[in-house]
Amino acid sequence: MTDYQPFEHEQDDTGVDWNSPEMQARLHRRNIGDRFFRFVGFFAVTASAFFLVFLLGNIAQKGASGFLQTSIEIDVAFDADILPDPTNLEKDAFAAAVAQVNMQYLIRQALTNRFPEVTGRRDTTRLTRLLSSGARAQLRDIVIKNPELIGTTHRVSLLASDEIDQVVKGNTDVSVDEANRKLTDMELGWLQSLESEGRVTKDLHTRFLTSGDSREPELVGVWGAVAGSGLTLLVTLLTAFPIGVFAAIYLEEFAPKNRFTDIVEININNLAAVPSIVFGLLGLAVFLGLMGMARSAPLVGGLTLALLTLPTIIISARSAIAAVPPSIRDAARGLGASPMQVAFHHVVPLAMPGIMTGTIIGMARALGESAPLLMIGMVAFIVDVPASINDPATVLPVQIFIWADSPERAFIEKTSAAIMVLLFFLITMNGLAIWLRQKFERNW
Amino acid sequence: MLDMAEEKDLQSTVKPKVTLRDVHVHYGDVHAVNGIDLDLYSDKVTALIGPSGCGKSTLLRCLNRMNDTIPDCRVDGEILLDGKNIYDAKIDVVQLRARVGMVFQKPNPFPKSIYDNVAYGPRIHGIAADRTSLDEIVESSLEKAGLWQEVKDRLDDSGIALSGGQQQRLCIARAIAVSPEVILMDEPCSALDPIATAKVEALIDELSGRYAIVIVTHSMQQAARVSQKTVFFHLGEMIEQGDTTQIFTAPREERTRDYITGRFG
Ligand SMILES: Nc1ncnc2c1ncn2[C@@H]1O[C@H](COP(=O)(O)OP(=O)(O)O)[C@@H](O)[C@H]1O
Ligand SMILES: [Mg+2]
Repeated sequence: MTDYQPFEHEQDDTGVDWNSPEMQARLHRRNIGDRFFRFVGFFAVTASAFFLVFLLGNIAQKGASGFLQTSIEIDVAFDADILPDPTNLEKDAFAAAVAQVNMQYLIRQALTNRFPEVTGRRDTTRLTRLLSSGARAQLRDIVIKNPELIGTTHRVSLLASDEIDQVVKGNTDVSVDEANRKLTDMELGWLQSLESEGRVTKDLHTRFLTSGDSREPELVGVWGAVAGSGLTLLVTLLTAFPIGVFAAIYLEEFAPKNRFTDIVEININNLAAVPSIVFGLLGLAVFLGLMGMARSAPLVGGLTLALLTLPTIIISARSAIAAVPPSIRDAARGLGASPMQVAFHHVVPLAMPGIMTGTIIGMARALGESAPLLMIGMVAFIVDVPASINDPATVLPVQIFIWADSPERAFIEKTSAAIMVLLFFLITMNGLAIWLRQKFERNW
Repeated sequence: MLDMAEEKDLQSTVKPKVTLRDVHVHYGDVHAVNGIDLDLYSDKVTALIGPSGCGKSTLLRCLNRMNDTIPDCRVDGEILLDGKNIYDAKIDVVQLRARVGMVFQKPNPFPKSIYDNVAYGPRIHGIAADRTSLDEIVESSLEKAGLWQEVKDRLDDSGIALSGGQQQRLCIARAIAVSPEVILMDEPCSALDPIATAKVEALIDELSGRYAIVIVTHSMQQAARVSQKTVFFHLGEMIEQGDTTQIFTAPREERTRDYITGRFG
């Protein structure tokens, strides 16, 4: 290394001595700087990877059990004296008649049959609280679906209450003093006895993915929020995408370069950095205040998020348009294409992958937003799954926020499970953006 | 049709196709072209030569108003195409560029199929009545550009998949597909290897006589090979113009001689 002289004549011509101690020291310093930078960079990447893995692992570990739910099997006597006779009833009439029946009575009967030692109003009530308040509806659906059960005794699996569910999943510490926990020793005894008979099961909880919000953790579902997010993003996409793309095309291809367009440009860039809650205030003032649209609806939410994503879409669309080589524009113009034809026949198609990537990333950001939607009332407790953009709705991040704020212990896992659902959609969208970028990547 | 073309040809031997009268071009404060008087003829290839930055491209781009989109570019003087000023407010730029085609320094085919590259001009100008006549235009243009034999079996392949020389000939085919009267070429061979250059030069030779061709070139040999008329520029001014043989054998100006013998450039 030391006796390597790249330019032998150099020493004579210019007086540069590549072997002088100063030169060696300088080289050494440069190498050290290089190694140091590599080390720092590697450390930074490792640290962020660690935090990411920790975060995702933590959510997955907490949330995985949110997709499972405890059920208890009990032997229900489908009493023909109480339940309607299906033989001479239409399907709908039968269902209506079943809906009139006090299913809670059948459940109580089934439980007291299993635990005959339990007497007295208070203890019987406690006993029925082993099961979820949704068990009645479950039982009703079972009867409507299987009318042949009437008059027999059959073992059915019904949802356990959230407190029982948490004990079964090991999330509640039962070793603490009885006074400091929700379930008494008596209730735990019942649970143990049921478990010993193999009547307690943990099953995949499809309801979590198919139903709306509820006050009861064991009955909640994310579908209402997913549908709300979907409708909201649809409104956002349908408004922000065309406006953003046309604005970008105009600014890049048609607008004269003057003071005014400079100011517009600076303001668009500044808007991208405005805190999202400010857009919520704007939406509140304009869409709800001035225009009097329906509160809590995906329409208003979508328009508010469109304001928020517009700068992102414009900026990314502009850079995608600017990246189209000028030679393509020259070629089209030289053939006599009008400015519109140059833009729409050549520039926009070539910029489309970049525009789409930017749009998807903007949409992903909109999907994760909660603050502006809180301002326009999408934080309400909504059980029904929204069917149109004017129905009251909530969105995934707000749903997560609501559940995280709920006192019941069982909501912890539901919160994490909902975060997993949100992350699934975010990762899917970002994956789509990456795929698009790679598929259409071009070398000129 | 034929009669008219013949008539035009006869006329053009006497009457110039394009006439420049005292043309000045400014980019803001930069005076890029300084008072050019020049005639271009339909049956001649005119070569513009001169050192870098002397305003050859600028002048060329004036002839089909490609300078219009450059902010603060100002063109003064008269440029007449068939006696009509092309900078007149009544002139439609779109039509002008169909009559005055352009081939650029770097081959710039559209990232579309070979067919669509050639068919684009006829399509936007509504030149072809139906698909068959469009097919004919594409074929004859590629034929004239000497590319038909090479690409006739892969018209659906992308234009950018061709070699550099083929791309440039595709660009020439694309330009002649709209039947221009003038073809402007700005250093069309500077990005090509010698073999591709030879093919493009042969093509220019082939096309000369049918179109008024103006070619900017850095290569003295190229100017000598393809052109009948040569114009020498220096620092935005036209130093000398004349028959190519005269310019290269007996230049009247000292600076022309210095340039073509390679003493500066
Ligand atoms: N778009 C432009 N804006 C400002 N100045 C330009 C522009 N294009 C060319 N020029 C200037 O005009 C002069 C002539 O340039 P050009 O016509 O490209 O020369 P050539 O093609 O002979 O090399 C040069 O001084 C160049 O810097
Ligand atoms: Mg040039």
